[in-house]
Amino acid sequence: MEFVGIAAGKVVSTSAVFLILTMVGLAVARRISTCVLLFSMQSVIITAQVAATAYLENSREAWVVAGLVFAFKVLGIPYAFFWLVERLKSPRDVKASTTPAQSVFVVVVMVFISYAAVRSYAFGIRVPEDALAAAVALILTGAFLMVSRKKALMQMLGLLVLENGIFLAALTTTFGMPLVIEMGVLFDVVVGLLLMGIFTFRIRDTFDHLDVSRLRRLRG
Amino acid sequence: MTMALGAAQVLILILGAPLARGIIARIKAWFQRRQGASIWRPYAELGKLFQKEDLAPPTSSLIFILAPRVMFAAALAVAAFVPVLQPFALFGSVGDFVLMVYLLALGRFFLALGALDGGGAFGGMGASRDALISTLAEAPLLLALAAVSISARSASITGIVGWTLRQNFFEISAVHILAFAALGMVALAESGRMPVDNPTTHLELTMIHEAMTLEYSGPSLALLEWAGAVKLNIMLALLISLFGPWGMAGSLAPAALGIALGAYLLKMLVLMALLAVIESSMAKLRMYRVPDFLGVAAALSVLAVFFTMIAKR
Repeated sequence: MEFVGIAAGKVVSTSAVFLILTMVGLAVARRISTCVLLFSMQSVIITAQVAATAYLENSREAWVVAGLVFAFKVLGIPYAFFWLVERLKSPRDVKASTTPAQSVFVVVVMVFISYAAVRSYAFGIRVPEDALAAAVALILTGAFLMVSRKKALMQMLGLLVLENGIFLAALTTTFGMPLVIEMGVLFDVVVGLLLMGIFTFRIRDTFDHLDVSRLRRLRG
Repeated sequence: MTMALGAAQVLILILGAPLARGIIARIKAWFQRRQGASIWRPYAELGKLFQKEDLAPPTSSLIFILAPRVMFAAALAVAAFVPVLQPFALFGSVGDFVLMVYLLALGRFFLALGALDGGGAFGGMGASRDALISTLAEAPLLLALAAVSISARSASITGIVGWTLRQNFFEISAVHILAFAALGMVALAESGRMPVDNPTTHLELTMIHEAMTLEYSGPSLALLEWAGAVKLNIMLALLISLFGPWGMAGSLAPAALGIALGAYLLKMLVLMALLAVIESSMAKLRMYRVPDFLGVAAALSVLAVFFTMIAKR
């Protein structure tokens, strides 16, 4: 069991790096399906982190949360996304308005900023600095993805990445939130996804494309 | 005794290089459900080429004949920097990782010169492409090595490997993961493997390394091919010794050396299988996408250097 303890502690401290790697991947990915896979991997890392926290804090609720996160974010939502991509039959390109090199640069700058922002805060309270910085970077990256990708599907994915960041921030600062709140947040995400899925179908049916930048003409 | 071991390490890297190529080709063939050639075939090819006549175009100068020799010599010198069985290398105390990187660059420079001197149109095209790639790959290569060397507080490769060997496997930090990702991508570009350059193509528009060796024949071509194989072997050995040296011999006892050799071969096989998977599952990038690929490597290596600053140790 000694070994499991060491591994769990290591998961908490190194997962930040793997999260940053997925963020860089999201910045360069050109296809929606690649982005969805990266989101799924990101969720796997977060699941591992929840499980490690559950093991270290010895809380049964956190195990349930880990299971829920795994079921929804690793399997359910990516599956729904693939189904949507299949059904919408729109081109697979994410329609980035920045080149991959620019996107990577922006993400790297965001990681720097989040470390700088978290540094003074994490020092005071007993919080792993890496994980919190990764959470802030996830929030920023999600927002950046929403702003810089023109496909409506990528707006949804950006929101999900952002939500992953908020979830991770909550996890690292509170060492496991109450189960009810976690479930509420998860259902919020699922309902949001459902609504946005319906909207993308509507957008596609009305305008024959999913390019958000072209919706600008709708202003009165 | 240690000197003999250092020489043995260089020999492993140099003489084992064609075998590494053969094994990778075999694994790739297995993935494509072909039978594949024998893993010893690269040796036979080198032997065949060494027996042939060395032809040089009448318009070429001395550089054309000199270039393959210089490239092979540079690869030989770089091989003497890389620890294989022990955290010791022949040139370990001669120079640091910067010298190693620029010895690699020297080889590429002469290869490009020779390609231009050959006078063929493809040679010039390949040389200019190779110059672009090596320029872009240099920054992430240097930065990733610098990140590892900062965390090891040592500029020589052997010092870094010795430090890593003393660390616990679970204590491997963010710096190493990021630098490994960056160096892995650079290794693909440096050795002309799949997402950047297709080593098996002879299609005019896509070849890079092959375009440069097009005018060469006989022993010169053999030396170029061999040097290319050695470079790939060096990159893989460098990845192993910098990021996974565990199992290296701490003493000169035969048993420890035997274990080190076994561990090295095992890790090499894993890396080769990984390379074969990458090459079988990815398409070659368009030439204008290569800067993006190496830009990601550069971003990762910048992050690695940044992480050395915030790492606790």
